Amino acid sequence: MPLIVTDYSWTQTDSTVFISVPLKGARAERVDFLSTEEYLKVHYPPYLFEAFLSEPVDEDRSTAKVGNGVAVITLPKCSNAFWEHLVITTYDKEKKKEVRERALLKYQERLCSESRSKAEKQQAEKKYALETMMKLEKEERDIILKRKEDEREKTTAELAAWQLRQRETAVGEAKLKLQDQRDRQNKLKAPTEKQEKGCSDEAKVKLDERGNSEAKSQKTTALLPAPRRSANIQVRFTPRVFPTALRESRVPEEEEWLQKQAEARRAGNADVEELKDLREEERNPEWLKDKGDKCFASGDFLGAVNAYNLAIRLHSKIPALHSNRAACHLKLKNLHKAIEDASQALDLLTPAVPANAAARARASVRRGSAFCQLQLYAEGLQDYQAALKLDPHNAALQADTQTIRDILQGSAIGTH
Amino acid sequence: MSSPLDKPQIISHFQKSLNYTVFDSKWIPCSAKFVCLGNYARGTGVMQIYEVQQGEAQLIKEQEFPKPIKCGTFGATSLQQRHLATGDFGGNLNIWNLEVSGTPVFSVKAHKEIINSIDGVGGLGIGDGAPEIVTGSRDGTVKVWDTRQKDSPVANMEPGEGETKRDCWTVALGHAFNDQDRCVCAGYDNGDIKLFDLRNMSLRWETNIKNGVCCVEFDRKDINMNKLVATSLEGKFHVFDMRTQHPTKGFSSVSEKAHKSTIWQVKHLPQNRDIFMTTGGAGNLHLWKYEYPSQRSKTDSDDLAVGVAGSVTLLQNATLSTQPIASLDWSPDKKGLCVCSGFDQTVRVLIVTKLSQV
Repeated sequence: MPLIVTDYSWTQTDSTVFISVPLKGARAERVDFLSTEEYLKVHYPPYLFEAFLSEPVDEDRSTAKVGNGVAVITLPKCSNAFWEHLVITTYDKEKKKEVRERALLKYQERLCSESRSKAEKQQAEKKYALETMMKLEKEERDIILKRKEDEREKTTAELAAWQLRQRETAVGEAKLKLQDQRDRQNKLKAPTEKQEKGCSDEAKVKLDERGNSEAKSQKTTALLPAPRRSANIQVRFTPRVFPTALRESRVPEEEEWLQKQAEARRAGNADVEELKDLREEERNPEWLKDKGDKCFASGDFLGAVNAYNLAIRLHSKIPALHSNRAACHLKLKNLHKAIEDASQALDLLTPAVPANAAARARASVRRGSAFCQLQLYAEGLQDYQAALKLDPHNAALQADTQTIRDILQGSAIGTH
Repeated sequence: MSSPLDKPQIISHFQKSLNYTVFDSKWIPCSAKFVCLGNYARGTGVMQIYEVQQGEAQLIKEQEFPKPIKCGTFGATSLQQRHLATGDFGGNLNIWNLEVSGTPVFSVKAHKEIINSIDGVGGLGIGDGAPEIVTGSRDGTVKVWDTRQKDSPVANMEPGEGETKRDCWTVALGHAFNDQDRCVCAGYDNGDIKLFDLRNMSLRWETNIKNGVCCVEFDRKDINMNKLVATSLEGKFHVFDMRTQHPTKGFSSVSEKAHKSTIWQVKHLPQNRDIFMTTGGAGNLHLWKYEYPSQRSKTDSDDLAVGVAGSVTLLQNATLSTQPIASLDWSPDKKGLCVCSGFDQTVRVLIVTKLSQV
């Protein structure tokens, strides 16, 4: 419950009212003023001073000074009249409450509008600053652009002038040429006229003219040296495995790939004792494959299988070896082994690229024919169809596939 | 410190959009015309001649050929004749008289595969001796032709029997300071640069710059070899000082990395042999100046002379498009005027200012 201050004093002039409120020991910061045109409140807990002013005052110009234990409030009057009393005492509680609320509202509104106007002013100033900056920068840019444009126009003008000069000189040269030609023609005319008079001289004069022109052309070619004597220079290039151009950033990757290829070629698992007595070339899978192919061609299927076996022991990842061994087993009627080898070959040929399409077709055909010989015609047909897809124009393949289909449909009996 | 406005500026004079892929553009000497070479989408070659008039290009002549044209040069014709020598995708070398359409003045099936690059010397009043044309092709050979000898080349630099071949991407002629001397420099896709001496018909120097060589050029064709610039993939170029050759170390060089992409072309300013422009795969142009060292050669530990390379400074750069600028040609008549064409099917005429004050 605030303590009402009653020991205030007031004076007035024609235009202003001065109220002096003792602060009773309160510090200056703790004093809170609220003033509107009809109400004044000074609050410094626990004390409260309020005055319902008898006449309206100019709230915008009201001031308060705090010091020396008193607060002096200066209220300029709205109308210059003598006040009998400072405050209206006839207000009842309701009225007082009303006035207080109104005052509070008004005060709040005033504060709001003040802050708003301050913010707006700041905003306007910022905008102005930005606009001036932009204008300055634009001016700079314009200067540069203008200079470039000037340069361009100057060069265009120079170019046009130079072109004009060129054309003039060209015209001049053309005129000279024409003049030259006419002179030459006149010179030629003179001897021919003489010619008509004496026919015997005709041939001689013609020869003379030809002689003149030849001499002239010889002179022009003599100014240039003869063509060089032809020669070949052999070049050797810095070796490069890849067909693409050399790029520095790709070199480490390329090295890695080459190393991997090299490792894949080297012998995988060297079983020490058995392979110790192999000759150097017998370790080379290419040589062994060749040997196997020769044996197959000459009908020595067991020899071929041996060669392929050894090659596969050294290098199990080469699909050609498995595929060829499958062909050998087919001839030897080891059908299950043939199927195994053909399947392995197909597995090794897994990235299905056009480069290994032929190999895949061959392996499929071998596996298919093994299936058919085991009378598993359905699987055989599958393999033949796969081969046909890879090699659609092979007539023999088409014929075989058709035969198998017929067998499956039971219209013909027979192995293939 | 010079202000930015004192540096040479690269200003675009105008640009022309074409409806075909243009591979090469060259000024016609002593005129304000340039010729564009390329191929239509239908697979035929095209040659168009434009004239610069009042700030834009007027098409004067157009001719279509059975095979697309890759490159052309005016280097080997006289100033009066101004015949254009072209190399096309089928390996044919043709020389055309631009006034007359129809059959070429000279034609030979030079190579089995596309002619990637062509250069000429001895014409236009530049260089002494007979006019010669050199062509470099994807079949790995570099051949030098004389138009008076139609059936066989004057010189043929080919890989030996059974040797692997690498694509030759660029050729340049230089060292033509008297009747007999000529040098051919060839760059290949595996980074090899080979210098052939035509007087002795031998290989004079070779090196490998670890990236495919896109373009080589001597700073001047008609003097004792002074400098050679070689540009490559991955944004690097090398400037070789060609005055001093060491028996083992060869020519010394300075290299610079720029453009962040393939450097397609290098061309020296005809009026100042120390200024050159490089064009990049990102559609940008860099203008460089070479500064000589205080001493161009010094003796090394074995008392042999070895060259000292100078330094290269960037004068200006400009980005014109997003696609590679495949060809650039300075006008020999007007300093700073150049025509460039790119794979965005546009040909641009540029003006480079303040080159006299560099």
